[in-house]
Amino acid sequence: MTRQEIFDKVLEIVHDCVPETEEQELTESTVINTDTAIDSMGFTLIICRLEASFDVKIPDRQWQKLYTVGDVVSAIEKRLK
Amino acid sequence: MQKQLFPRDLSFRALLNRQKNAVPMRPAIRSGADARVLSYEQLNQAVLTQEALWRDSGKHCLGVLCNGTPECVLTIFGAVLAGLQVVLFDGNISEAELPELLQKTDVDCLWGAEELEEDMSPWLTGKAENGAGKLLFFTSGTTSFSKAVVLTEASLCASAWNGSALLPLSQEDTLLCVLPLNHVFGFVCGLLWGLACGACVALGRGPRYYAEDLKLFQPTAIPVVPLLLGFLLKQNALNEALRLVLIGAGDCPPALPAALQARGIRVSFGYGLTETSSGVALSLGADPYAMTVCPDDELTLAEDGEILIRCESCRMQGYYKDPDATEAILKDGVLHTGDLGHFDENGLLHVTGRKKEILVFPDGTKLYLPEYEAKLRTVLPDRDFAVIESKGAPALFLRGKESEREAVSAALEPVMRELPLARRLNAIYFDPAPLPRTATGKTQRWMLQKKVGNFT
Repeated sequence: MTRQEIFDKVLEIVHDCVPETEEQELTESTVINTDTAIDSMGFTLIICRLEASFDVKIPDRQWQKLYTVGDVVSAIEKRLK
Repeated sequence: MQKQLFPRDLSFRALLNRQKNAVPMRPAIRSGADARVLSYEQLNQAVLTQEALWRDSGKHCLGVLCNGTPECVLTIFGAVLAGLQVVLFDGNISEAELPELLQKTDVDCLWGAEELEEDMSPWLTGKAENGAGKLLFFTSGTTSFSKAVVLTEASLCASAWNGSALLPLSQEDTLLCVLPLNHVFGFVCGLLWGLACGACVALGRGPRYYAEDLKLFQPTAIPVVPLLLGFLLKQNALNEALRLVLIGAGDCPPALPAALQARGIRVSFGYGLTETSSGVALSLGADPYAMTVCPDDELTLAEDGEILIRCESCRMQGYYKDPDATEAILKDGVLHTGDLGHFDENGLLHVTGRKKEILVFPDGTKLYLPEYEAKLRTVLPDRDFAVIESKGAPALFLRGKESEREAVSAALEPVMRELPLARRLNAIYFDPAPLPRTATGKTQRWMLQKKVGNFT
């Protein structure tokens, strides 16, 4: 799976979990909570959906380190390899 | 739920012994992670085994990274019974924040941090003295902004009794513990409340399973913070057997309790502080915002409406090794909460706001603004700014121009990356005008909040 494909899937899940983000242009450098309407509970939901969708597990301790959308893509990419 | 009166326990040992004798075969703890069930007799025995292990360990102060498993509960009880001081940390605390907190609280051994233990060993050098029976909770989450509050097993048991006296559970109840045990609300209302009543405490499996845990355990009662309640409602996750929801630790929009009441679920709000070992007032009637003061507590109002609490049995001993901070809040045995409130014509407490420079968010976390701003100042020196609340999270109000957004965001990034998501800034507002201040130089945050309201 290419990084772009992962990014597209991440965006699809983010929009699905937090519909308020649909009107925003999200890029890899988008800061998850400063630039979006995603609160910590929404973020939890997104991570759970991403893990199920990509069949990966991002350790709980790593969640706190995800700062941008690009960080999320990287965390998944690393575990798909 | 059947109303019962409970004897007052003065220690974890007394509580566990009482239930071992009263309801030995009833389920005490259910674990979602491995489908284990411990009866009260088995729980008591397992805690005694842990007590023996810790008594022989030669350690004085145990730091527990709380993961919500039965082992975590047994370790906490066992270590306290063995006379260790126990410090409760967020199970996912960052490696960057942990060393400072370990040193601050004199921890000399860690539980629940196998992958970190080697890295942390240089900081496990504490020499706690007179720590027997003490449990340290951080005022809100475990970050460098938080103060370590010294509670005792006696104060925590008293708090559980206080709550149970007003809002008893029956032995038939299942209490779902979804909140982290390192928060006093989670520890008392998610764990001790259930055990004090002889109910079954189901230990949730963490954030991944918030919604699924209600299906798995079919709880009849659950303590939640407003943000989690909103999430569960949105996910349509509430199970049919659920009869009681205890909401605490944050401001709650009326739509949430209304949605529960519409389903026939009883709603109770709790008001309390870490410094009072959890709740001192609970709502019992139809109005969830009108709270009855718990039997052990005496609440009065200062002239300016600040809520003052006298609660000998539940009060903290103080902030750990911080007498100045303790004296600032605890005067002549009275706790000055910094919260504002009033009593209605029926003598019920209504909490109306905050006097202190603290933000309380819907997930129950608190933010001490001066400390938070000091951290931001390390990367924004010589800038005129203040932190305010926006959409349930901290936001930065900065004197400057919108064109600076990228540069400011880049400057903030290293600080933000070190913080849990809920404490990161969720918005930056620019305004070319100087920030409004009082004659003494104090930022008038309410004016900034008003301005932000106009921006959005």
